[in-house]
Order: sequence, then C-alpha cells, then structure tokens
Amino acid sequence: MDTLQYLGQGFGVALSPNNLVTALAGTTIGTIVGLLPGLGPINGVALLIPVAFALGLPPETALILLASVYLGCEYGGRISSILLNIPGEASAVMTTLDGYPLARQGKGGIALSISAWSSFIGGMIATVGVVAFAPLLAGWAVSFGPAEYFMLMVFAIVCLAGMAGDKPVKTAVAVLMGLMLSCVGIDANSGVYRFTFGSLGLSDGIQFVVLVLGLFSISEILMLLERTHHGQTAVRASGRMLFNFKEGASVFGTNIRSGLLGFIFGILPGAGATLASAVAYMSEKRMAGASGRFGDGDLRGLAAPETANSASACGSMVPMLTLGIPGSGTTAVMLGALTLYNITPGPLLFQNQPEIVWGLIASLFVANVILIVMNIPMINVFTRILSVPNWTLVPAIAIITSIGVYAVHATTFDLFLMIAIGVFGYILRKLDFPLSALLLGFILGGMMESNLRRALSISDGDLGILWNSPITLGLWVLVAFMVALPFWRAYRGRRALPLPDAA
Amino acid sequence: MLYHRLFAACLLLACVGLGLTAWGYHAPYSYEPVGPRAYPLMLLVLLGAGALLLVCKPRLETGDEAEPRIVPAMLRKTLICLALMLALAALFERVGFIVTATLFGFGMARLFGGRWLPSAILAVVLGIGLYFLFDRILDVPLPMGVLAVLEN
Repeated sequence: MDTLQYLGQGFGVALSPNNLVTALAGTTIGTIVGLLPGLGPINGVALLIPVAFALGLPPETALILLASVYLGCEYGGRISSILLNIPGEASAVMTTLDGYPLARQGKGGIALSISAWSSFIGGMIATVGVVAFAPLLAGWAVSFGPAEYFMLMVFAIVCLAGMAGDKPVKTAVAVLMGLMLSCVGIDANSGVYRFTFGSLGLSDGIQFVVLVLGLFSISEILMLLERTHHGQTAVRASGRMLFNFKEGASVFGTNIRSGLLGFIFGILPGAGATLASAVAYMSEKRMAGASGRFGDGDLRGLAAPETANSASACGSMVPMLTLGIPGSGTTAVMLGALTLYNITPGPLLFQNQPEIVWGLIASLFVANVILIVMNIPMINVFTRILSVPNWTLVPAIAIITSIGVYAVHATTFDLFLMIAIGVFGYILRKLDFPLSALLLGFILGGMMESNLRRALSISDGDLGILWNSPITLGLWVLVAFMVALPFWRAYRGRRALPLPDAA
Repeated sequence: MLYHRLFAACLLLACVGLGLTAWGYHAPYSYEPVGPRAYPLMLLVLLGAGALLLVCKPRLETGDEAEPRIVPAMLRKTLICLALMLALAALFERVGFIVTATLFGFGMARLFGGRWLPSAILAVVLGIGLYFLFDRILDVPLPMGVLAVLEN
C-alpha cells in the first residue's frame, strides 16, 4: 500500500517537534479565534499568513499552522453557540438550536464535551476520507489539461451559486465581482495594465491578504458597532463535565451519518461547513421524527451540525490539494498562502512534494487529537475568554489586522485599500450578498483566466477545445444541472427550508 | 428596496464604465489568440446582466425586511470608526506604529463603549505590547516614526 507508506512519512513530518508545537499553537489560536466575535476562520487564517512568512516557516509548517487554526475554529465556534446562544462563526449557527437549550437546562458541560467528541469523530471520518480519496483524485487529475481545469472552475463557481439556496443571483453576482477584482493589475501574458487607473499600488494586483482582511475583518468591525455590548454573561457550564457512555452511544449513529455527509459537502466546491451543518441537522431531525426533541435540547441536534462542520472542514482539503480548487472560503485563503510560497497545489503536488501533502494530512489527525484532549480540561479557560468585552477586543483586532496588512508589502497604500474594500464589504453584507462567494471568485479568477487562455492557445483560438474531451463534456452536463437546480427549486415553490448564508 | 436597487444600478454603471476602459486594452505584441481584454469583457457582460436583473427585480431574492435602515446615530458612529481607521493608515508610517496604535486604540475603545481610564490603559498596553510582540518576537518590521530617536 503506497498510501499507507506515504501516510507514515506524513506522520514523520507532522510529529517532528517543530510541527507538533506549531499544531498545538495553531489549534489554541484557532479555538480562541473561533469563539471570539469578529474573527472567524477566514480572517484568522489570513492574519497568520504574514506572520508565518515573517517567521520564515517552511511551507509544510506554515500549512500545518493554517490547517490547525481552521480546525480549531470549527471547535471554538461551538462554545459561544452553546453558552451564549451567539454563534462564533457562520457554521456554528445550527449548534445554537439545541446547544443553548441544553446549557439552560444545566447540561452545559455535557453539551460542550459531547460536541467536542462529535467534532472529533467528524474530523476523523473526513480525514480518513481524505487519505482514501485524495490520491485517487490526484491520480485521475494528472491527465487534466487547461481546458478541463477551466471547465472545472466554471463548475465550481456554478456549484457555488446553485447550492446557495435562496439567492443564486446574488451569489453569482458576488462571484463575478470577485473574478473582476482578480483582473486588476498587470496582465501576465501581455504586460497590459488592467483597471489600475494609473495607480502604482494596484499595478501588481490586489494582494489577497488585503482583500480578505478588508472584506472580513473591517466589515465585521463595522457590523460590531451596531451591538456594542459590554461583554456577556455566559450560562455557567455546571454539573457533570463529561458525557456518559449512554449519551455517547445515543448520538453515535448521528455522528457517523453526519460525518459522511459533512465530508461529501466538504469536497463539493462552494458548499462548505455552513451548508453541511444545516443539512445534517435537518436530516437528523427528519429521521428522528416524533421521538426527537429537536430545538429543545436534543443531543442528536447538537451532535449532527458539530460532526458535519468539522468533517466538512477536513473534506474541503481534498479539492484544494488535489485540484488546486478551494471548496470553502478558508481553503481559498490557504490556497492563496501556498501561492505566496510559489507552490501550485494540484495533482502534481502529490508527486513532487509529497512531504507537504502528506504532512498536512497527517497533521489533520494530530490536530484533531490535540483538540479533543485540549478542549475537555481547558473549557473553563475558553469560557472565560468569552466574557472579554468588545471595547477591549475590537481595538486589538483592528490593530492586529492593520499589522497583518502592512506586513505584506510594507506600504500604507495597502491599508487604505483594505479600508476601501472593507466599506465595500460592509455595504455588500448589509445588502445580503455572500462575501465568501466573492472571495472564492477572487482566488479562482487568476487561474481561470490563465487556463482559458492557455487552452485557447493550444487550440489556436478554436473554442471547440472547451467541449471536445469526454471530461469537459461531462463537466458541461454537471454545469447545466447546477444552473437548472435553482430554477427547479423555484418551480417546486418556496416551500424549501431557509438555509443560513455562508457569509 | 431603494438601496438594493441603487446598489444594482451603481454596479451596472460601473460595468459600463469598466467595459469602456477595458475596450482599449490592446497587446502591442501578441503570441496567443486571446488578448488581454476578452476575459474581463466577458465577465463584465455577465456581471452587467446580473446587475440588470437586480435593478429590474430587486424583490427576486430579498424580502422587504432585509432592506437596511439608516439610523443617524449609527451612521455617525460608523463614520467616526472609518475616520479612525483612515487616520491609522495615514499616520502609520509618518508618526510610527506605537504612537498611532495607542491613539487609535484609545479612540476605538471609547467608540465601543469603554470608560476613559480603562480605555487609556488598554490603548497604551496594545500600542507597546503589540509592537514588541510583532516587531521583536514575530519578526514583522513595524515603523518607529517619531520614536526613532529613542533607538540608539
């Protein structure tokens, strides 16, 4: 078994003292970032990129740091959902539905431990899935040419809009805005300056750290202005801290089902953790039928979204590593980090730099174990962080964000650009456009254009190359299906359950 | 629906404007069949179509309750917050990180409802603490500005 041998090598990388410390630091930072308002996995990961760069971390260590922060966020998001009824980030919205009632009933400790356990199982199922699927997909994707890649990205984008539930048009518009923003700067093929309007700062394009921090941090700070509360009084996690065997067994089926579901949603481009947790919750609720007390403190209702969101976080590594196409906002940021290191993710990465890929996959296992071990005894420390009032938190977040942006190029132009993007993001949020779609468009934009132009160079301008191979044709069918999906949904009437958006 | 429609209209105008700009992009020497302008123009056509749809049918995906309301007190706070951030950006290099971050931190802490003294203490701690954390420990160089004289 080649895979197992590679995985062994990966563990060699992940368990080296440096990387182990990195994973420990990453999971701690991630948990804190996940539970604080105003910071989520996307800007948490983006903030660490300049730091990883400045510290001169080797690429595999940097990637392990970012991945463990990501997983930590999925763990941390649940704490404020359960104790405060406020989701720390979008994918923890469903966790509030049953988590908060449990805490109110004095079962906060059980809720926290069982949700940590669920996250652990979800992460493990999905990581095993990554080990099984990623090499297969990578082996298959080696034969992809530029035309196939272009179509794959079109599919990813259409998928994003098709899965967006109640607002496909807004999602599509947001993606297109992201794609347009990626056109800014010198065109690599011809040297023409595009949309720079004579500005020197824009000539090598918008830095993605600037875009991410503007869109997600600055706009979030402006949103927080509307709820300037003075810290919150969390429900105290009292009573028994650990769930017992019976409770664990009662949610085991839910864990397995939601884990598989989350993994599949993670692989699909654009679906992501938010959708995965919502679908997992809904389907468990339907399965339980009358026997469930969903919405009223059912353990299954807590386990389902928590399992699904961490499974989907791990699952979203599959398209990022094998195809170089991100499946979620956070993996989009990680992809951007890799390009800063001049590493192009894709099938060849498995052949050329196995230590990066397998080190990352092994570190997903390691991070999951660290998180479950850390979360149960340290829960009181994390709960205390929740009571930090906004007036201390927001200035710190704002200053750290500015440092992160300044660190990229050491110009204040980027700071102004970040504020401008932040205001734009704030307006988009107010008008209910999904920001993560814009981010995905921005990350995919450059690759999409260069693949399209390369494909048309190969065929000497003949558009036929975009549908002449069986793979591209198959992708067209999928694209057509995804375009048709919203229309079919609208046709079925507006009976569909509203899903929280992925912003 | 006014703001939604207004935004979509601005987007549409921007598409037209950017389209006119992009029309002029021309590669002096070209080795490939697709020039620098085809791809952005294609995107702009799609984006424009989306914007047009949202101008004509703003209710398509938004209920009336989703219309943002502008509250004067909120707007004032938002503008102050923006002014603080712009000041931070403008003074970051000229005055130096520590002083700027302290002033900015104080302003933001007050804006988010902190009391005078705790805000001032927080701001000083943030300004100096973050400087040492990033510049000295994490190797992210930050400008000293006016405090450069203190460095030997």
